[in-house]
Amino acid sequence: MIELISDTGERREMTINMGPQHPSTHGVLRLELVLDGEIIKKVKPHIGYLHRCFEKYAEEVGDYAKVIPYTDRMDYVSAMNQEHGYVLALERMLELELPERVEHIRVIVAEMQRIASHLLGIGAFGLDLGAFSPFLYLFTEREKILDIFEKISGARLLYNYMAVGGLMRDVHPEFKTDVAEFVKTFRPKIKELDDLLSYNRIFIKRTANVGVLPVEVALNYAASGPVLRGSGMKWDLRRNDPYSIYDRFEFDIPVGEGEMGTLGDCWDRYIVRVREMEQSLRIIEQALDSMPDEGDVMQAIPKRIRMKEGEVYVRTESPRGELGYFIASNNSASPHRVKARAPSFVHLCLLPAISKGSLIADMVAIVGSIDIVLGEVDR
Amino acid sequence: MLTVVKQGWSTFKSIFTGMGITIRHFFGPSVTLQYPDEKMELPENSRAKLYVNIDDCIGCFLCARACPVNCIDIETAPATADVDLGKTSTGNPKRFWLTRFDIDMAKCMYCDLCVHPCPTNCIYMVPDYEYSEFDRSNLIYSFSNLVPEQVADVKEKAEAEAEEKKRQREEMQKAKAEAARKKKEMEAKKEEERSEKDGKEKGRAPSKPENDGGE
Repeated sequence: MIELISDTGERREMTINMGPQHPSTHGVLRLELVLDGEIIKKVKPHIGYLHRCFEKYAEEVGDYAKVIPYTDRMDYVSAMNQEHGYVLALERMLELELPERVEHIRVIVAEMQRIASHLLGIGAFGLDLGAFSPFLYLFTEREKILDIFEKISGARLLYNYMAVGGLMRDVHPEFKTDVAEFVKTFRPKIKELDDLLSYNRIFIKRTANVGVLPVEVALNYAASGPVLRGSGMKWDLRRNDPYSIYDRFEFDIPVGEGEMGTLGDCWDRYIVRVREMEQSLRIIEQALDSMPDEGDVMQAIPKRIRMKEGEVYVRTESPRGELGYFIASNNSASPHRVKARAPSFVHLCLLPAISKGSLIADMVAIVGSIDIVLGEVDR
Repeated sequence: MLTVVKQGWSTFKSIFTGMGITIRHFFGPSVTLQYPDEKMELPENSRAKLYVNIDDCIGCFLCARACPVNCIDIETAPATADVDLGKTSTGNPKRFWLTRFDIDMAKCMYCDLCVHPCPTNCIYMVPDYEYSEFDRSNLIYSFSNLVPEQVADVKEKAEAEAEEKKRQREEMQKAKAEAARKKKEMEAKKEEERSEKDGKEKGRAPSKPENDGGE
């Protein structure tokens, strides 16, 4: 251990700020680090730089549908998943029956969005650790997904594609072939990613045994998604609490096994994301096979959303973990209360627990491996 | 010693695997476009800029009401009886002059929510993305096809007509009230006569009618 000795022989602690304008904090996050030399003694995340009053806005806006574009802006990297959770919550309240075609398209775009989000998460993680090329190659692939999304919804990032009871517009006629083509070209890229980054010696050295999150700690902090699965817990809401039509598809839940070091280290969390992309491809293929070609995607959209009094909590598996929407209605035009349970926020909370005692250079790896999006943390 | 050799070998291997992949990409096809010279073709339904076909607009305010950020500013004046604004291409009759139809693209969040409620499909997104400005106020697009004089004229006319209508309505109401009053007076007289008769019979003074007109 390196100890910083002052003139008087006492150990000195130094407090420095990492962020809010730091390239590896993935947005505007300020970490207050108390350092002993290069060793981190204490971390205190400061949030709120991106706060946009999502929940208050949802109560004030006067229409349930007007909230959907704002859910996009919560986690702007996986907007489709955010919308999916919100519209599912409303549909459960309204007890709507959805056409098969809508459900299939939703699952396909949600899984494609999961891949796009993981590509960005993995790419940025590598970039933080000095691996520049994988980032570029992964973004090439992500671009293909965004192109498909742009064709179906008209926007590249903030889609506002899902509507309560259906979709805002139908997919273009070549949608199936486009997606099938993407799945075909993307499979070999995962292998390439493994060669280039996952099993790269330098990358393993930087991530194995760093930021170890034991499964008990993860559960105590209510972690979910790849962070929890990286610690070896087999928990996926698509399997454990199926929503939409996920119960029809066959897929595995990849978990961390401590292959390169301790169970629950940064490398485990990383590799879970890589393997999840393969499973997403499997789901997409199955959904493409069973997707009906005909059907009106707008037929079940209610003209006016009349919500009866009550509450609902719907949780979905977003690329970052359990995304829950709690909606309370009091019979008026806009929700009485909307609460979003954002996985990024929860995962940011466990940052102090797993980064104590690590080097300041590893802090970057830890923040990258929990893959937070600050838009979702602050909302 | 063995682990050192093993690790050394794996480091050596990963360097060359990585290099191989990078070189493959280096000689692969380019994926980028040199933007100002080459431009990407946007899909037809891209959401880049709002456009209003003002000839088809009936001034129903549905788009303004659907907007989550209130970036659509509409003002209408009812068309007077002497003009016929015709019909939209979808066959809806037009009843309003659109004296103002401003869209503030600086506020717009490109959510597409205004497009769907439109009954005549006259507001829609177009794939035109190169419209940056140095001044934010230049991003307010006016779609109204009336010049300010026309706007003033139309408004004046509409106001005059509204005044006229109001006057007519009041007159009508007055006339109605008058008629009702007369009717009631007549009834009251009859009542009086009857009660006088009754009073004579019962030997009591006639009572004054309680209601006198519809005032």
